[in-house]
Amino acid sequence: MTQTLRARRATTLRETWVAQLPDHVEAVAISPDGSRLAAAAVSGPIHLFDAGTGERIAEMAGHTMGTTTLAWRPDGRILTSGGQDGTVRQWDGVSGAAVAALEAGGPWVAAVAWSGDGKVLATAAGRELRTWTPEGGSVAEWTSPASSISDLGWKPGSGILAASGYGGITLMRPGGDKSPRVFEWKGSVLVLAWSPDGRFIATGDQDSTVHFWYAQRGTDLQMWGYETKVRELSWDPTSRYLATGGGQEVVVWDCSGKGPKDSTPRMLKAHESFVSALAWQHSGPMLTSGGYDGLLVLWSPSRSRKPASQVELDGVAACLAWSPDDRWVLAGTSMGTILRLDLA
Amino acid sequence: MSIPAVPRIAYEPEPPPVDDRVPVTVLTGFLGSGKTTLVNRILTEQHGKRIAVIENEFGEVGVDQELVIGAEEEIFEMNNGCICCTVRGDLIRILGNLMKRRDRFDAILIETTGLADPGPVAQTFFVDDEMQARLRLDAIVTVVDAGHIDQHLGVQREAKEQIAFADVILLNKTDLVDESRLTALEGQIRGLNSAARIHRTQNASIDLDHILDVGGFDLSRALEVDPAFMEPEYPFEVVSTYELPMGHHEMVLQPGPDPTMNVLIGALAAPDRASVEERLMERVLAFSDEAFWVGSGDAITPGRGVHRLALTDTPMRFPFVVEPAGSFGLYTEHRPEEYGLEIVGSDGVIPATESITYTPAHVHDREIGSVGIAIPGDIDGARFQEWIRVLLRERGTDIFRSKGIIAIKGEPRRWVFQGVHMLWGGTADRPWGTEPRRNSLVFIGRNLDREALTSGFKACLA
Repeated sequence: MTQTLRARRATTLRETWVAQLPDHVEAVAISPDGSRLAAAAVSGPIHLFDAGTGERIAEMAGHTMGTTTLAWRPDGRILTSGGQDGTVRQWDGVSGAAVAALEAGGPWVAAVAWSGDGKVLATAAGRELRTWTPEGGSVAEWTSPASSISDLGWKPGSGILAASGYGGITLMRPGGDKSPRVFEWKGSVLVLAWSPDGRFIATGDQDSTVHFWYAQRGTDLQMWGYETKVRELSWDPTSRYLATGGGQEVVVWDCSGKGPKDSTPRMLKAHESFVSALAWQHSGPMLTSGGYDGLLVLWSPSRSRKPASQVELDGVAACLAWSPDDRWVLAGTSMGTILRLDLA
Repeated sequence: MSIPAVPRIAYEPEPPPVDDRVPVTVLTGFLGSGKTTLVNRILTEQHGKRIAVIENEFGEVGVDQELVIGAEEEIFEMNNGCICCTVRGDLIRILGNLMKRRDRFDAILIETTGLADPGPVAQTFFVDDEMQARLRLDAIVTVVDAGHIDQHLGVQREAKEQIAFADVILLNKTDLVDESRLTALEGQIRGLNSAARIHRTQNASIDLDHILDVGGFDLSRALEVDPAFMEPEYPFEVVSTYELPMGHHEMVLQPGPDPTMNVLIGALAAPDRASVEERLMERVLAFSDEAFWVGSGDAITPGRGVHRLALTDTPMRFPFVVEPAGSFGLYTEHRPEEYGLEIVGSDGVIPATESITYTPAHVHDREIGSVGIAIPGDIDGARFQEWIRVLLRERGTDIFRSKGIIAIKGEPRRWVFQGVHMLWGGTADRPWGTEPRRNSLVFIGRNLDREALTSGFKACLA
C-alpha cells in the first residue's frame, strides 16, 4: 500500500505558480540553493524570481538584441548572462543590480560556464574563448582556429574545459601550460554535455547526428538517423543514460557495459512534433521532455516507455530545469510563460 | 520544405498554402560598390517596414541600432544525406534567435562582406529545417560599382560569382560613366548572368520594391520577374551596318579579350535596323554553320558564311573585296569596340551607319557565364527528373543557380524548378492555358558546356 502511494506521488506534476516574461523564454537558471531563479527573454530582459512564491524580485534590461544564456556562480551570489551584444554581464544574485560587464570578444555570446569550484568563468563569443576570475580579471584567452564556439562545458569536478564548434571539440585547462587537445570531427557541433562521471562527452550536431566521445582516449561513436539537428542532450545522474532530442521521439542511449556502440536506444513517444528541451533530475530517475507541440512530459525511462505524466503548456516548451532538490521543474515557453511544476 | 530531394511532378489539385514566412534578402557587392549606402537607406528611409539587418562588420550605421545585428560569416560544410554543401552557421544561430521574438520583422536583410561567396548564405535556407520553416530566401541582390567593375571583374573571381548568383543587380554609380559605357557594362553583366534584373542607380537610390520581396527564389515568380530571360539569344552580339563602295577593304582588329572571334559579313537591303531584322534568322542559321578559320592577312569573303578569326596579340588585318557596292551587315560575336574593330577602305576608316545589339548566346567570360535553353515541345517527366538530378549531383559545384519552366507531357500546368548548387526543387505552377507549351531553362555557373546542357535537355523531349 505504501509502495503504491509513493509511486503515485512521484508521477504527477502540479502547477505551483506561473509568471510572465515579455517574450519567448530563451534561458532559465535556478540558483544553487533553489531559492531564486532567473529567466531571460529572447528580446533581452532578464527577470529574477523568488522560486518559492513566483514573486518577481527584479527586472534587468539584459542584453541589446537579446540574451542568449544564463548561469549562476556556484555560490549563488552572482548571476551571469551573455547576449547578442557580445557582452557578458554579472548581476547581483539577490537584488538583480548590475555588477559588471565583460567584453567577451565576439559579436554574440554563445555560452557562459562557471567552473564547479566557482573560481573561473568561461565565456565564448564568436571564435573567442575567455576565462575570468570571479572579479573579472583575465585568466586565459584562446581563439578557435577553426570556427566560432557553439558551447562550453567544464568536466565535472575538474579544471578541464571543453569547447565545441565546427570541426569537433577542443579540451583545455585554462591557465595551464599544456596545449589544447582536439577531438576532430568534420561537422558542426551545436551542444556538448559531459557525463557526470566525466567519462563521455556527448555532442548534438547540425547534421542530425549525436556523438559520444570517450574523454580519455579521444575516440568517438557516431549515432545516425535523427530527424533533424540535435540541440537537446541530458545525462542521467548515474552517467548510464543519455537522453537526446533531434526528432519527435526522446531517444535514450544506454552507456553501461560496453557503451552505446551497436546498441538500440529506447524510444520514448509522446510528442507530436520535435522535442525542444530535455532535463534529467540531478540525482533521481525522472526525465522531463518538452516539445514544439507545447507538451511537457515526465518520464521514468528506466521503468517505463510510457509517460508518467503530461502537462499542456501555452507554447513551445523552450527551457526546462530541475530544482537542486529534484522536487520541482521549471519550464519556460515560447509565449514567455514560466511555470513551476511540483512533483506530487 | 521548398527543396525536396525528389521533385513532385504528379498533378496536385490543392492550391499552395499561403506562405507567411519572413522574406530574406542577401546583399552582396564589393567594398565601395555602394552596398553600405543601400543598407543605410533601408535603415533610415520611411518605408513603413520593419527590417532587421545582419552585418558582418558594424559599419557607420548610426541610426537604428536596434535593428542591426552582428554576424561572423562562419562557413562550414554540412553533410546533407548524399550531398555536401557549405552553409553559414552563424546565420542559423542568429536568425533562429531572431525568429523567436514576438516583434515580427517584415523582412530580413543580410549584408555579406565584399569578397563573400553567396552560395553558403543561400544554401543555409534550404538545408536547415528551422530556417526553412520560418524564413524564405527571397533574392540575392548584388551592387556593382559602374566605375570600377572592370577592375573587379578582371582580378576577382568573387566579383563574377556575385553577379552570377544575383536575382537583382544594381548597376550603381552610373554618374561616373557615360551612356555607351553603361550599355556595354550591362552587356558584360548579361554575359555572366542572363536571368538577373538589372537596375541603374546613383547613390544606391532605388525603390525598395525592386530589391525586397521580389520573389527571386519563388518558383512561380522566378522567371516572370525578368522578361529578358525569355528573349531569344543570338550567336552574335552586335550587327554593325555599313554602306561600302566597290573595291578593296580591310577589317582591322586590335588584341582583345578572346583568342578567336566569329564574324560574318552579309549583304543587306539598306544599312538600317529593319533590313537587319529582315534577314536575321537567315544569318543566325549561317552563324551555326562550321566556321572558316582565318589568320591575320587571310582574306575573308562577304556572303560566304562565318569566319573564325584567329586573334593574336598584335594588330590584325583581314582583307576583303566588295563587288558591287552596297549595304552590308558585319555580324560579330563580340562588341567591335572590344577589339577596336575598324573597316578601312581606300579613303580611310569607314564608320558604321548603325550598331544593333543582340543578347548574345555565347559565354562572354571563359570562366563564369549563363546558358539559356529555350525549346518548344513536351518533356518526358521521368527522363527530365533523372537528367537534372544527375547533372546537379555531378556538376552542382559549378552550377550556381538554375531555373526553369518546363512543359511536362500530360501535365496541364507549367512545371517550375529552381536550384542553388546541388540543392533544387520544383513544383507544378499555373495552367498553360492558351500559352504555347515551351521549355525555358537557365543555368548560371562556371565552365558551363552549352552544347552538353542543350543536348542533355533535348534528350528529355517526349
